[in-house]
Amino acid sequence: MSSRFCNSILAAAVAALLSFTLAPASAQPPAPAQGPGPGGPGGSPRPPGGPGGPGNGGVPSIFGGPRHVPGGPVQHLADGHPDMQGFWNAGNNGGAVFEVQNHPTGRAPFFGPGKGAVVDPADGFIPYQPWAAAKAKDTFEHHLAEEPELHCYESGVPKQLYVQFGFQIFQPANYVVLTWEFMHAYRIIPTDGRAHIPAAIKLFQGDSIGHWEGDTLVVDTTNLSDRTWYDTVGNFHSDAEHVVERFTEVDTNTINYEATVDDSKALTKPFKIAFELDKNSDPKYEQMEFACIEGNEDVTHYTKDKGGNADVKVK
Amino acid sequence: MTRIRLVDSTAIGAIALALVCAAPWLAQAQTAYKAPRNADGTPDLQGIWQVRNTSAASDLEDHAGALGIPPGRSVIVDPPDGKIPYKPEALAKRRENFKNRETADTLNKCYMPGVPRITYLDFPFQIFQTPKYTLIAYEYIHIYRTIFTNGSPHIDGLDFWLGDPRGHWDGDTLVVDVTDFNDRTWFDAAGDYHSDKLHVVERYTRTGPDTLRYEATIEDPEVFTQPWKISLPLYRHTEPNFRILEYECQAYADEAAKGSH
Repeated sequence: MSSRFCNSILAAAVAALLSFTLAPASAQPPAPAQGPGPGGPGGSPRPPGGPGGPGNGGVPSIFGGPRHVPGGPVQHLADGHPDMQGFWNAGNNGGAVFEVQNHPTGRAPFFGPGKGAVVDPADGFIPYQPWAAAKAKDTFEHHLAEEPELHCYESGVPKQLYVQFGFQIFQPANYVVLTWEFMHAYRIIPTDGRAHIPAAIKLFQGDSIGHWEGDTLVVDTTNLSDRTWYDTVGNFHSDAEHVVERFTEVDTNTINYEATVDDSKALTKPFKIAFELDKNSDPKYEQMEFACIEGNEDVTHYTKDKGGNADVKVK
Repeated sequence: MTRIRLVDSTAIGAIALALVCAAPWLAQAQTAYKAPRNADGTPDLQGIWQVRNTSAASDLEDHAGALGIPPGRSVIVDPPDGKIPYKPEALAKRRENFKNRETADTLNKCYMPGVPRITYLDFPFQIFQTPKYTLIAYEYIHIYRTIFTNGSPHIDGLDFWLGDPRGHWDGDTLVVDVTDFNDRTWFDAAGDYHSDKLHVVERYTRTGPDTLRYEATIEDPEVFTQPWKISLPLYRHTEPNFRILEYECQAYADEAAKGSH
């Protein structure tokens, strides 16, 4: 039938339908309005207890978030796994973010003594092969301007876990996804039993696959590039790094985190780090956008003797 | 009585004919795609998606090819002429932007590309959903956007490269209201730009098992005479081994500058 004919028939049908209709068709329901959040309109999403603030009356920390407050019994999602969703913080952990291993005398002039986060070996030091120990020393003395985060790179594994400002855990179906404010980094951890990608592909954050052992999330990470460090002072790994992390929620405010780090090219044996992740349960807390390269001036402040471009300052 | 019956039979006849005429349309309406559901009942947008249109990132409007610029038809569906409704004085700025694009386009410095540009850069992204959030993780410079679908309000008084996204469901469509932009990103490599008064409303609608319609309505009273709208289909990556990797723009630029690797 021609469309002209159809158009006129349709018009007649509409008129006829209207003549039958007693009540007008109900209007489409309005789209749901964006209601005010818990804080109400204009409420600041950055709570007093957020990064830099004295959260929950605890000790202020430059790493962000409140210090540890014990929580209630672990809650489980419909899939039976513990509900770890929310905002978490590694805190200072013996200054691990500065130097992950034991640093009994500190690193003048940057920071003072701390134990770091290495729990095995018992002395708290990274068990480097001799060449790697020499390289770490040389890097600290002459190449600090190569620190990956100065250049706005993602932090790698396990360092990403103890960077400042904390991170958020999401548990969508078949995944655990971690997002950080710092460097707007993220890690996608499938828990569907898939295999690792081929070794030829190296990634700053590596290739992570996860599985659950009871209430513990176990994450195996390979495909790590040699472009991230363990900390800010030149402790490093090769592209043979292999990390197994264990996230065990012990109460609603606490995850026990462990990472066993192996690197056949740079270490004599694996080492293990461990610390507590604390929940930031402020209901209004949100992660902010972290622009880095968009305004980065760090590199310009590094002097030539440290591998940077700046002239040495005259006193 | 007779008269009423006559009216009735005429009307019924008209309706019957109309049904025949409208059959193709009705068939389409009946088979309109119904998105599968997440456990919480919301439409399932999860998966790895990417545009197939590789020219929109160069220029949203109709444009011919040139060196490094793939040709393409306009993705602007409103206004109907497919052109961005610039104020006259703003159009001059766009032309200047294009001339200086190598240095003026912050994308070339590996900066965050803004919204909606991040969507039609030729890189995949993965959508995750939980009851409170829709999370989009982009392969391009490890950007993620946390879209709050928990009724929370916009932030007041800050600005962001990617804006502040707050979402809600309009039927089966995820509607994301994005405000609080800075004025340093462009819409494409042709110099199409905005001020910090930019307001974007994105709409994500499943249209099939492996397709998603992306629409963005763009409003900026300082630069445009009226709101305008783009529409692009997104396609699911169905390759079984596909996954989001990394495109680390800054690291590659540093390597190039060093002449290493």
